[in-house]
Amino acid sequence: MKNNTEADVRTDTAIKVMALFFVAIIFLALTTDPIKVGTKEGDRAPMLEGKAYNGSSWYEFDMDNYLTKNWTAGDSDGQWLVVEFMDTDCPFCVRSADDMGYDAEYFMKLRASHQTNPGMGPWDGPVVNFIASATELDIPGHETSQDEIVAFRDKSGEEVCADNACAERAGQAHRFVYIDDIDQDNMKEWKVPGTPAYFLIQPDGIVAWTSTENTQETVFEAIMRITPQEA
Amino acid sequence: MIDQNLLLIAYIVPIVFGLVLMTKAGDGLGASLSGREPLLKHARRRHMLGMNLVVLAGFVVSVHTLWISNKISEGGNVCSSATVFSCDDVLGNAQYNTDPVFGLPWGMIGMFAFGALMFITNSVSKEPDALWAEKYLKYGMYMTAFGVPIIALLISYEIAMEKICQFCTMAHIANVVCLFGFWRAGKMHEEGLWNDEAPAEAENKKDD
Repeated sequence: MKNNTEADVRTDTAIKVMALFFVAIIFLALTTDPIKVGTKEGDRAPMLEGKAYNGSSWYEFDMDNYLTKNWTAGDSDGQWLVVEFMDTDCPFCVRSADDMGYDAEYFMKLRASHQTNPGMGPWDGPVVNFIASATELDIPGHETSQDEIVAFRDKSGEEVCADNACAERAGQAHRFVYIDDIDQDNMKEWKVPGTPAYFLIQPDGIVAWTSTENTQETVFEAIMRITPQEA
Repeated sequence: MIDQNLLLIAYIVPIVFGLVLMTKAGDGLGASLSGREPLLKHARRRHMLGMNLVVLAGFVVSVHTLWISNKISEGGNVCSSATVFSCDDVLGNAQYNTDPVFGLPWGMIGMFAFGALMFITNSVSKEPDALWAEKYLKYGMYMTAFGVPIIALLISYEIAMEKICQFCTMAHIANVVCLFGFWRAGKMHEEGLWNDEAPAEAENKKDD
């Protein structure tokens, strides 16, 4: 015969509360399909924030303007996004600036041909927008500024990028947007280990490819492999 | 979809009603309702009913915030607004929408917290004179008091984002009301108002 009825009350209550908890979890599982926010392939990319320079002025950047929330896989109307994390004083970033420029011109459909792949016809895939997030790495000699970002992008001014004049860097002036990430906010949120780092983002904001997970593949090759093309 | 802000009323009503039942204003309400529900004439029963209502509202609003977080991660807009009240901006901000230790969404933490509080308030309601009841009420007070600095941290996030998540605020209010409820339950123990016979004694005291 039971003689401790107090224990029954607590057990009974615990079972009821747990049942309610599991009902809530089942409701969430049935009505939602959450995608983790992160920077690995398959994650939802975090929002990029900060002032952006488009060649004429600095303005508040809104990544939502580049996304198509209701995009479905295979739809070639949605615009893709390449995000480059770079530092204007990082020698690797300076060296790859020309390739970035050529890729951007081609995939943003600003040029009909690719400068280093002349055999390619006009790009028949979706528009792939390019964005550079310019940070300042915690390394001596890597001090940067908005003026230096402008100089790097436009190949202009007297600023110095990685011991050389920014205006003298390889390639042409870029025609894509540069975000001021001197405070490293974006870089930390995207968990970027070093520069340059590249991310290919689907129109719906999901990370499709990262250079850190595909070290043997270039941005050009990744876009060609992953984005839907008509031919 | 239903306007999410309309659903706020569904949370405000039980929280306000629960708070009223816990305060002096609840005495009059209890007296008027005692014709329909005689047990409500007892201060302790009114108090625990109020606490159970607030805890349940806190639990449900926590589930709702987790649901909103999940929907935002799918790419949807649930309660996006250009005004300062925009829970999409708060719950969708990856920098702030999970706790810094375990990386759990805040809504999930709210579910655990209010689930534990629900266990305490329900158990004490059913067995108010048990030896463990007073101790459990103290645990509840410590838990909700521990929630206050966490609420302060979340408010600091909202200030940093210059946005307010109305649903999160509702859960914060529910926690603070519960803190008050657990504190007042302790006072009722001290003042001898915990027993069912107490209303008569209290009324006698008033008459004196």
